[in-house]
Amino acid sequence: MSQTEVPDLDPVIHAQARLRVVSALSTLRESDSITFPRLQEILKMTAGNLSVHLRKLEDAGYVEVTKTHRGRTPATLVRLTRRGRLAFEDYTAALRALLSPPSEEP
Amino acid sequence: MVPTEDELPPIDPAESLRLIERERAETELNITPDPRGFTWPWGFAWVLGFGVYFLRYGPGDRVFVDLPAWLPLTLLLGLFLAAGAFTGWFGARISRAIKGPSNRQGAMYGIAWSVAYAGMSAVLSTTNNLLPDANATMLWAGVMVALTGAMHMAGGAIWNDRNLFFLVVWTSVVNIAGVFAGFGWHSLILAVLGGGGMLFVGTLQWLRLRRRAGRGLR
Repeated sequence: MSQTEVPDLDPVIHAQARLRVVSALSTLRESDSITFPRLQEILKMTAGNLSVHLRKLEDAGYVEVTKTHRGRTPATLVRLTRRGRLAFEDYTAALRALLSPPSEEP
Repeated sequence: MVPTEDELPPIDPAESLRLIERERAETELNITPDPRGFTWPWGFAWVLGFGVYFLRYGPGDRVFVDLPAWLPLTLLLGLFLAAGAFTGWFGARISRAIKGPSNRQGAMYGIAWSVAYAGMSAVLSTTNNLLPDANATMLWAGVMVALTGAMHMAGGAIWNDRNLFFLVVWTSVVNIAGVFAGFGWHSLILAVLGGGGMLFVGTLQWLRLRRRAGRGLR
């Protein structure tokens, strides 16, 4: 991406709901995961809606969804992958670049 | 596919950045434990435990309230155990929502507490018959505070929590000052400056967290 071009915004993240999901997950420390219900509580989304968006993010390789068991109760854990974190950082950098376009040519 | 409202991009870049900030603040608030959960139990334990201690073992062998000789130290140990158990439970409750390296760190830290306390108790109990009551109790109280302080400072270092770290540097200094001030004064200083300090800092951190959350959510 050169300095003069308007940066492309990642279409996977560039949807309100998924941007919210990725933003929330980016708060966790790298390689920590959060349980699905807790993520749902934070985002105030329905389980179905959140699942749909997580699947899309998973298909892009941005999040990892792990199904596990805690005792007898199944638990679903969600975490941002390294690739997802990079995509999120690129996305926020692109937004900032859009807001303050370089005024002088180097 | 018909785009739903969810699929629509945010209106403009500035709006997107605000959305990101809001979401991050909301998440941080949700997964950050209430700081009072870690400071208040210890604060109350110190104020109450060392307060009673002072009333029974005042400076210059004064007895303000004639309690049984065994009561102050037993109460103090009990309060410390209760505060430790509460903060352990409180920390575990939060980490149930998060899995990964943070959890393992928490578990190892919890085990370190029990092992360190067991070691301290084993060593100090051998001195009980060698020292006069007054010196023995101050030895217990002083070492317990130093050890608790060391654990809390390590916790501050592990979680990169400057507030916790400096709060405990403060209580550790207060402990040393108290030991030098001598028997009787030690407990009063710890109750007021140590316990009171923890309650105060816990409240301050809580207010700050609430203010930060309020800004992020607006």
